[in-house]
Amino acid sequence: MSDFHQTDPIITLHRLGRAGLERIESEMVEFSKQRPIALVLPALYTEFQGEAIKGIIEELKKVKYIREIVLTLGRAKEEEFKKVKEFMSQIPYEVKIIHNEGKRIQEIYATLDRNGLWAGEDGKGRSAWIAYGYVLANGVSDAIALHDCDIVTYNREMLARLCYPVANPNIDVVFCKGFYSRITDRMHGRVTRLLMTPLLRALQKLVGPNPFLLFLDSFRYPLAGEFCMIADVARTNRIPWDWGLEVGVLAEVFRNYSPRRVCQVDIADNYEHKHQPLSAEDVQKGLMRMCVDICKSIFRTLAAEGIVLSDSFFKSLQVAYIRLAEDTMVKYEADAAINGLLFDRHEEAGAVEAFASAIQKAAEAFMEGPMVSPLIPNWNRVTSAIPGILDMLKKAVDEDNRS
Amino acid sequence: MEGFVDVMFQPLEDFWRGFISFVPNLLVMIFIFILGFLFAWVIGILLKRVLAVVKFDIWCDRVGLTALIRKGDVWAKPSEVFVRILYWFLVILFIMIGLTALQLPTIDNLISQFFVYIPRAFSALLILIAGYLFAGFLSRAVLIAAVNSGYHYAKILAEAVRLLLVVLILAMALEQLQIAPGIVVAAFSLLFGGIVLALAIAFGVGGIDAAKRIIEKGGEEKKEETGEKGRDIEHL
Repeated sequence: MSDFHQTDPIITLHRLGRAGLERIESEMVEFSKQRPIALVLPALYTEFQGEAIKGIIEELKKVKYIREIVLTLGRAKEEEFKKVKEFMSQIPYEVKIIHNEGKRIQEIYATLDRNGLWAGEDGKGRSAWIAYGYVLANGVSDAIALHDCDIVTYNREMLARLCYPVANPNIDVVFCKGFYSRITDRMHGRVTRLLMTPLLRALQKLVGPNPFLLFLDSFRYPLAGEFCMIADVARTNRIPWDWGLEVGVLAEVFRNYSPRRVCQVDIADNYEHKHQPLSAEDVQKGLMRMCVDICKSIFRTLAAEGIVLSDSFFKSLQVAYIRLAEDTMVKYEADAAINGLLFDRHEEAGAVEAFASAIQKAAEAFMEGPMVSPLIPNWNRVTSAIPGILDMLKKAVDEDNRS
Repeated sequence: MEGFVDVMFQPLEDFWRGFISFVPNLLVMIFIFILGFLFAWVIGILLKRVLAVVKFDIWCDRVGLTALIRKGDVWAKPSEVFVRILYWFLVILFIMIGLTALQLPTIDNLISQFFVYIPRAFSALLILIAGYLFAGFLSRAVLIAAVNSGYHYAKILAEAVRLLLVVLILAMALEQLQIAPGIVVAAFSLLFGGIVLALAIAFGVGGIDAAKRIIEKGGEEKKEETGEKGRDIEHL
C-alpha cells in the first residue's frame, strides 16, 4: 500500500489496498466498447527465447478488453518471424506482427527516407512509432497502450491499471504513465534514482521554477516504459528514436497537452526486468549511452523553452548535480536500511560519478550541435508528405501476417 | 535408275534449299533478339538514371502511385517497376520484329495485329493512371466537403465515390482494349443504370415528403423574390 500524496501538476493514481482486478477488468470491457484499445508490444527476437514473454502471453490470453495487439518485432530473420507468428497465434484475439526487418517494412522505411522523413535507427523508438502508424492505419482503436516484453513480474492487473485512466471516459486523461518500485534484495532503477531526480532538481536550482522541469519531476518513475494514451497523441507526438525515448515522449506530451490531462498510475508493487550493465568506461554502451541520450533530450527541450545553456551553466550544473546526487544517495541508504535491503554505497557512488561524466558528454554534444534532433516526424506530417503511407503500411503488415 | 535417284533426292534437295534460304532469316531473328535485349538493358539503365534525377519515386509517393503499386503487393521502387515494364516491353517489341524476319505469313499476321494493339494498350494504361489519380482527388474532395458539412457517413460516401469511379475507369480501359466491349458496356450500363434507378426509387419512396418540402420551399423563395422585385418596381 502506498501513500495518497498528489504531485503537482499531473494526476497521481495510487494503489490503495483493495486490488479488485475483476472489477477493473469488467469496467474495462464496458469502457473498451466506447474506446477500443490497442496494445503495442515492442520486442526483439531474443526476448522470445527468454521466459518473461511466456508469462506475458499467458496473462494476455485472459484479457478481454484489448481490441488488437500489435507486436513490433526487431532483429528477426524470416524464419524467426514465422516462429514468433506461430507463438503469438495462441492469443484468442487479433494479433498483428510488424516484421521490421522484412522487405515490405524496409521498403516503407526507404519510402520515408527518400521523402526526407528519416525514421531513425533501428530501436524501440522506431519500432513503437511504426506500430502507432499501423494502429492509426487500421483505424479500429482509439487508445494505445505500450509495455515491454521483458517484464518478469508481469500480471494482467498491470495492463488493466495502465489502461483504466485513459479508457474511463469520466477521467479526462490523454496520457498515462505507469510507476512502480524496482526491488529484489536491493534497489534497482539507478538511472531514475541517481541521475534523473538529482539532475532535474539541480536544473531547477540553476534555472529557477520551470514548468517543464516541474512536469518531469512530478513523475515518480519518468523512465518507466509502460504507458497508455489516446490515439491522437500517437498522431501528433514526435518520438525520439534514440535512448532518450521515455523523456522525449514526456517532453512532447508536455508540449502538446495540458499537464492536467496527464496522469501516472501505480501499476505494480514490484517490477523486475532485464538489468543493463552500467559500462561506466564506454559512453557508447549500456546505461551510459542511455544516460547521455536522456540528458541531451532534457537539454534540448530546455533550450527550446528559451533557457540559455552555456559552458559555465553546464559546469555549475555538474557541481550541483553531484551534490544533490550524494544527498539522494544518503536518503536511499536510510531507506534501504529500514527495509532490510542491501545497499552498496561504493557501487552507488561509482554510478553517480559515471552519470556525472554522462552529463558532461551530453553537454559537449549539445554545445557542438544544439539543432541535432533524434525526433521522428509525427504521423500528421508523414501523411501530409506521403498521403498513401498509412495504406501502404497497413498493406505491408497485413501481407506479412497473411503469408 | 537415274530418274529414281532424282525423285528420291528431290525432297531432300528442296528441304536443303528451303533450309539454306531460312537460315539467314533465323540468324537475323536471333541477332534482332540479342540486339533487343541489349537495347532494352541500355535504355533501362539510362531511364533509371533519368528517373532518379527527376525524383520520379518521390513524385509517385506524393501523387499516390506508389500506394497503387503497393496494393498489388509490389514492393519495388516505382522507378524500378517502370523500368522493368519498359524493359520487357522493348524485349517483346524486338521479339516481334525478330519474328517478322522469318517471313512466315501466319506470324506476320499476328505481329501486325500486335502493332495495331499497342496504341490501344497504351491509351488504356493512361486512362487507368489518370483515372486512379482523378478518383483519389474526387474521393478526397467529397470526404472533406462531407466532413465539413457534418455528414455522419462521410468516409463511406467518399469510398463509394471512389469505388464508382474505379468501376467507370475499369470499364473505359476494358472498352479501349476491346476486351468483350459489348459485355463491358452492357454490364456498366446496367450497373450504373441500376444504381441511379435505386437512388431514384429510394428518394421517391422514402424521401417524398423531403422532396415536397424542397420544391415548396423553392417555390416560396421564388415568390418572395418576385414579390420584392415587384415592390422595387412599385417604389421606382
